[in-house]
Amino acid sequence: MESAVGSRPALWWAVNLSALLLVVIWTLPTFGILVSSFRDADQLAVSGWWTALVQSERNIITRAQPPVEAVEENGAWVLRGNVFEDGGEVRAFGVSSRAPTDFQPGETAELRRDGTVRIEADGSYEIVYSQQPDGKRGQRLFVTSLENPKFTTENYETVLFSQGLGQSFINTLTVTIPATVIPILIAAYAAYALAWMQFPGRALLLATIVGLLVVPLQMSLIPLLRLYTDIGIGKSFIGIWLAHTGFGLPLAIYLLRNYIAGLPREIIESARVDGASDFDIFRKIILPLSFPALASFAIFQFLWVWNDLLVATVFLGNNEEQLVLTGRLRELLGSFGGDWEILTASAFIAIFVPILVFFAMQRYLVRGLLAGSVKGG
Amino acid sequence: MKTSALVGAMALALTTSTALAGSHANLKFAPGEDARFNWASYEAFAAANDLSGQEMSLFGPWLGPDKDLIESVTAYFEAATGATVNYAGSDSFEQQIVIDTQAGSAPNVVVFPQPGLAADLASKGFLVPLGDEAAGWMVENYAAGQSWVDLGTYTDKDGSAKFFGFPYKADVKSLVWYVPENFEDAGYEVPETMEELKELSDQIVADGATPWCIGLGSGGATGWPATDWVEDMLLRTQPPSVYDKWVTNEMAFTDPAIVGAIEEFGAFARNDDYVDGGAGAVASTDFRDSPGGLFTSPPKCYMHRQASFIPSFFPEGTELGVDADFFYFPAYAGKDLGRPVLGAGTLFAITADSPVARAFMEFLQTPISHEVWMAQSGFLTPLKSANPETYANDALRKQGEILTNATTFRFDGSDLMPGKIGAGAFWTGMVDYAGGKSAADVAAAIQKEWDAIK
Amino acid sequence: MALADTHPSSSTAADWNVGSILLTAALTVIIMVAGLAFSVAVAVVVYMALELILPDITLLNAVLVMVLGVAACFGYFWGTNQLLDRIYPPRGDNIAANLIKANAIRPWLFLGPAVVILGIYLVYPVINSIVLSFMGPDGDTWIGASNYSWLAGDAAFRESMRNNILWLVVVPAAATFFGLVAAALTDRIAWGNFAKSLIFMPMAISFVGASVIWKFIYDFRAEGSDQIGLLNAVVTAFGAEPQAWITVIFWNNFFLMVILIWIQTGFAMVILSAALRGIPEETVEAAIIDGASPFQIFMRIKVPQIWGTIAVVWTTITILVLKVFDIVLAMTNGQWGSQVLANYMFDWMFRGLDFGRASTIALVIMAMVLPIMVWNIREARKDM
Repeated sequence: MESAVGSRPALWWAVNLSALLLVVIWTLPTFGILVSSFRDADQLAVSGWWTALVQSERNIITRAQPPVEAVEENGAWVLRGNVFEDGGEVRAFGVSSRAPTDFQPGETAELRRDGTVRIEADGSYEIVYSQQPDGKRGQRLFVTSLENPKFTTENYETVLFSQGLGQSFINTLTVTIPATVIPILIAAYAAYALAWMQFPGRALLLATIVGLLVVPLQMSLIPLLRLYTDIGIGKSFIGIWLAHTGFGLPLAIYLLRNYIAGLPREIIESARVDGASDFDIFRKIILPLSFPALASFAIFQFLWVWNDLLVATVFLGNNEEQLVLTGRLRELLGSFGGDWEILTASAFIAIFVPILVFFAMQRYLVRGLLAGSVKGG
Repeated sequence: MKTSALVGAMALALTTSTALAGSHANLKFAPGEDARFNWASYEAFAAANDLSGQEMSLFGPWLGPDKDLIESVTAYFEAATGATVNYAGSDSFEQQIVIDTQAGSAPNVVVFPQPGLAADLASKGFLVPLGDEAAGWMVENYAAGQSWVDLGTYTDKDGSAKFFGFPYKADVKSLVWYVPENFEDAGYEVPETMEELKELSDQIVADGATPWCIGLGSGGATGWPATDWVEDMLLRTQPPSVYDKWVTNEMAFTDPAIVGAIEEFGAFARNDDYVDGGAGAVASTDFRDSPGGLFTSPPKCYMHRQASFIPSFFPEGTELGVDADFFYFPAYAGKDLGRPVLGAGTLFAITADSPVARAFMEFLQTPISHEVWMAQSGFLTPLKSANPETYANDALRKQGEILTNATTFRFDGSDLMPGKIGAGAFWTGMVDYAGGKSAADVAAAIQKEWDAIK
Repeated sequence: MALADTHPSSSTAADWNVGSILLTAALTVIIMVAGLAFSVAVAVVVYMALELILPDITLLNAVLVMVLGVAACFGYFWGTNQLLDRIYPPRGDNIAANLIKANAIRPWLFLGPAVVILGIYLVYPVINSIVLSFMGPDGDTWIGASNYSWLAGDAAFRESMRNNILWLVVVPAAATFFGLVAAALTDRIAWGNFAKSLIFMPMAISFVGASVIWKFIYDFRAEGSDQIGLLNAVVTAFGAEPQAWITVIFWNNFFLMVILIWIQTGFAMVILSAALRGIPEETVEAAIIDGASPFQIFMRIKVPQIWGTIAVVWTTITILVLKVFDIVLAMTNGQWGSQVLANYMFDWMFRGLDFGRASTIALVIMAMVLPIMVWNIREARKDM
């Protein structure tokens, strides 16, 4: 008794801490991108996301107002302004790229051409020319500053309010829902037949289906699109539903058959004895009992279709009526795709619905399992 | 299956009409207003073509701002003819066009960013020849017209050479980007010859700084910026005939001339003192990030060799001509090879013939179709009848001059090579070379791959 | 397809003659076609009818299309079953004969759509690939086995094979292991569902998103400048030199594998957790009474009971590994010695435009799954 009592809290801690460690490791990469998605694009490019909350010392280059705007004061020509747009603290400054930190705030630096400049700690500067200057190119000022962390929702705004996102969202749903339901339905019937019905060639058929799991998708794209073009389906929603169904079926049948074959034999036998047809057995017994398996496959198929880009680019057009979310986000990245800040935000927008689905399905997953084990036990 | 007709009928019912009305709106520059534009060519084209209600699909790699730009051009075609142009851009352009042409669902007109892919598709019979008339027009009206015709001429399925690709929109690659004020601060002058450029690089090292920023990283396409370097160096060390033989593999990759050009690139990229981050950083630094070093304080580097598109990746608010500028990547004074220029061009080709597609290719011959884009950004043209005054800024005009002043103009060799080499083995080879392999070994590996596809 | 499979000589119903088999087969096909035609026709008619009444709103249209599409699918199963019951009613005088005949047809009605779709979407492309693997780049010149001999001598292919074998060993093992650990741990804690969701999250991220996420882990900046990649930040904090991780020959394979393990652990966890919860309480309670430690219970009682599920998870991930190319394409495109078969095939298909060679590589990928297939046939036999 004593040892049991003594080991329980220790075990509790061990399990909770290990789970916490695992969760932290698995979440960290995504968390990094979540933080990054709210960061200012400039800061994102120069410092790690884990430094997002601390003040950072940065060397910045700003341009003073153009010399032509200098005003005459006591025989000299003066320009005044501030190097910061939204605050900061000057640590050092300079007027040449060769020596950007030579001067302390409050000191006066000589310009290469006639004139002097003084920058205060708060960023305000004063440039004094002895003669009237000309030129539209402002003097470059090199400032080492302590910058506050900057956060912005601009990245999200860019993505969310981009044209056509709503339509793409609808398109993705139109693709995803039938492309999830149809394969499950077809696979469930097939899985039941493979698990509980007697017919010649059953083992061979099952092995073939497992073998088909590995057919590389890329091999099928061209023959299928050619087929679609020939029979007049072309690039349409029907075409992509059936394509996703075809590509998802082997895994669906494999997973579901495995589960359905594991259901207690007595239930099915006794129903048969009672005179129930296979259709009734499937509908009234198998479907409810295999709900957890159906739910888990539904999640995977949903995610796969939701995140798919390759199949959608091949079997759907690139137009407003058919462009899916992943395609739209891809477009936002521009032709050279260098905008990490847009990518980070769009990754999170695309992830939102799948996570919601997972949360919703997870409840069914547990409930279905409990029901199954009660009946099974 | 017997039910396929039914399925087809259902699919047909599901497809909604794609026609979008109101093509006359949103023309960037109102016809007839700005005298710099050749409105006469627009009016003449409009008078000669009426394609009301007809549609055409245009497919290319351009997305984002580039997509807006091409659509601003097609808007004029739509306004002039009444036809509708549906432009679609894709990030995975290369794969999608292969799939679509193979499957028989090709768009009407395709924009090829690289001649290599266009040539591959032409040889499989997926492109429609534009005809001798178009080729003749190009010889007449493009500066160095024959070289442009050659760029768009490929062998078809039967092995006979035909003009398939209409070059529209050019890029100049032989540019070195720098920050003029950084040069002023340090007292450097823009070099006029390759010898001076090397002296300047040494000078910068002697002053305790780093002359170059070089980045070859580009995700799956990592290595391509190095191919431009090698091509530029080849044009500066060997006569253009060598270059021409090299891109067709008439001259092997392992030829001392080619290995020499790779080593010329190595003189910059494999010199720890020359490159920001040291030679080890070259292969893994993203090409989009690498020009950033010009703009830091203090500057991480003073020069960056890259094509005319790179300002898109400069920090936000960078003003060309003030904050950043470029000079011609100079030639050796001692070699007497003139002023060679490396460039690239996008090609328009017909993949599914239709009257609208034909009319569209004709539209690309009008000065107005060039001027509309010239007046916005990032567009150079060899079309002689297009008014240089319409260039949006001095930087573009200066690049246009480099293009027209070139004594030798050659297209990006890696684009001309078969995809497996120019967009594969050559890239990988350059990554290996930057990583320390010898130029001879790298060249041998690329040549081996080339032999494998012959 | 259905026709071909009803013929094997090892047919269980030995008293059936050829004529009745053909009759059964023909009847099966007729019922299938009739059921399909009926449900599709109803769907199309309803669509046309509602199209006239309903306002032209895209969202409404989309919902209608979805509902009808799914309904047509339901309609097939319901319709064919009804039809079969009409033809061979399970009542009346011939009830016994009718049941036997109906039971011979019904499995094929259940399997029909799956077999037809698999045939079109997967078997046909495979046959197509086999034919293409003997063809030249243009896809219609017979070149015999030269694609195969080329493959045998190709260095990049050997590199891909080596890497693929590494992937096959490491990824399924690691993902299944972590999935099992995650399932076991999260089933025992109060915040288990929350923890599960977080571990599952990578599954919900597209490969494009995942490659961005991992860029922020593996990113490399030259020594001296601020690192924005987490791994290099950690490494430099310990005073070591930053590395361009994905370019480190050989080890970069493992850095890429980590990404797939990170994604697939969620899959393994969900399936294994369901299996763990399905273990009857009694067996565990008996072990507790015997004084077994939690670890012993897990290893000796629970794991053996879900062995079948572990095998399924392992198989599924193995097959996924064989097909994976997105990660490699996005991160390295096979450079720095990280090529894998699926990406190599992709490369020949879209960059080399040589469908013959691409098909040959695809067949190698398919051949690699042969041992798994054999094992699965054995398992299936055991069940029967």
